[in-house]
Amino acid sequence: MTIQGTDRRSEGIVALDPTSGPLEKPTGRKLAARPSDLDGQVIGLVTNGLGRSQEFMTALSGELAKISRPGGVIHVVKNSVSIAPERADWARLTSEASVAITGFGG
Amino acid sequence: MAAGSGLASVIGMLRAARHDYPDYASLVEDYYERGWTDGLPIVPPTPESVECFLDHAGLAPDAILGAVPTRDVVVTAEHAAINAVMAGCRPDYFPTVVAAVRAHLHEKANCHSTTGTLSGASQIVVVNGPVRNEIGIECRGACFGPGFRANATIGRALRLVIRNVCRAVPGVFDRASLSTPFRYSFCFGEDEEANDWKPLHVERGFAPDQSAVTVHSTMIVCEVMDYTSRTPEAICDGWLAEILRRGIFADRFVAEANILIVVSAEHQRYFAQAGWSKADVRDYLWKQCQASGENAKRIMLGGPEGFLIVGAGGPGHATTWLFFPHLAWAITQAIDPASATRRT
Repeated sequence: MTIQGTDRRSEGIVALDPTSGPLEKPTGRKLAARPSDLDGQVIGLVTNGLGRSQEFMTALSGELAKISRPGGVIHVVKNSVSIAPERADWARLTSEASVAITGFGG
Repeated sequence: MAAGSGLASVIGMLRAARHDYPDYASLVEDYYERGWTDGLPIVPPTPESVECFLDHAGLAPDAILGAVPTRDVVVTAEHAAINAVMAGCRPDYFPTVVAAVRAHLHEKANCHSTTGTLSGASQIVVVNGPVRNEIGIECRGACFGPGFRANATIGRALRLVIRNVCRAVPGVFDRASLSTPFRYSFCFGEDEEANDWKPLHVERGFAPDQSAVTVHSTMIVCEVMDYTSRTPEAICDGWLAEILRRGIFADRFVAEANILIVVSAEHQRYFAQAGWSKADVRDYLWKQCQASGENAKRIMLGGPEGFLIVGAGGPGHATTWLFFPHLAWAITQAIDPASATRRT
């Protein structure tokens, strides 16, 4: 087989980028500020519902309450294991929570 | 002009960045260093070769084959052609690659989950219809293994699209713990000529003379070797032991799963001798699952049609392979020859 476009040895080879762009795309977004402690923060706890992930997050919120005074806790369990949270979940998190922790069970 | 098509050249329309190399060796090294390969050498995707592939499928470079919204990715025909060239495909394989990419990017094929999962799910491409014989898809002896260009490169092309375009790169969106060598390439054809079983694509609504691919995202592959069973029921019971032990799972998004069952020639023979159709096999499997008490809840197929049965392989080894699904539907997609599509 002749590879089209590669038979002109003296001219080298011109080849195409196979990707949809750099892995780190410039989005203009940056990480949210990290608070120094959780006092007064409303903590969003997001899980995929697999295994004992909900149980773990409940225990985690209990542990966090021992070392800080959160302003509240919001539990979000994804509607389905394999897909991203739904719009309503995102809206609830971004409007009500000031920090968030995600986790999953397997 | 595009080779033989009478269409205007699309080389000027290609949007991919171009890179110059003095020779093949430096190109291969650079593509590897940039993370653009699966670790194996690639065929240079020159503008001329990509144009030739697009011409064979009758597609414009910017034709959209699908998207992965969670990754902000839209997959075009140009993307697919570049990666198909790299995989080592022949131009006449490209319509089959396009169909496989479209199938994998169907919403219910769940690309984001199946390519990002810790479990390292793989994509199995089953080819049906006349295209198998036209381009040399192996359906019989050793069809899962190396040595068949169409099988090897079509499966590889899909995986390169998943890597390079859908961004399923280890450490980025590929989070597999161990992954699997099935992710290099897994494509084969159904041996439709072996017996009178209805081909998979026909069972899923396509005409026998229509070529099609079915893409199944597989989490676990289980071989059931069974040299002692001599009846359809006994062979099925061997499969059921594994199916009931492992379960077949779906989530709320997928709702109902499919399991792909590839039956070798030796096992097919016993079904044929007893006059069992694929529907008979499915009905038996489904009834046994339903009768399995608590285990029935772990078989999330929705009905007997969730058993996707395919005959393949050469004679001699009495075996059946069970492909347990990841969280996705198996999607069957028609292969459109260039004559059925048109560049716009």
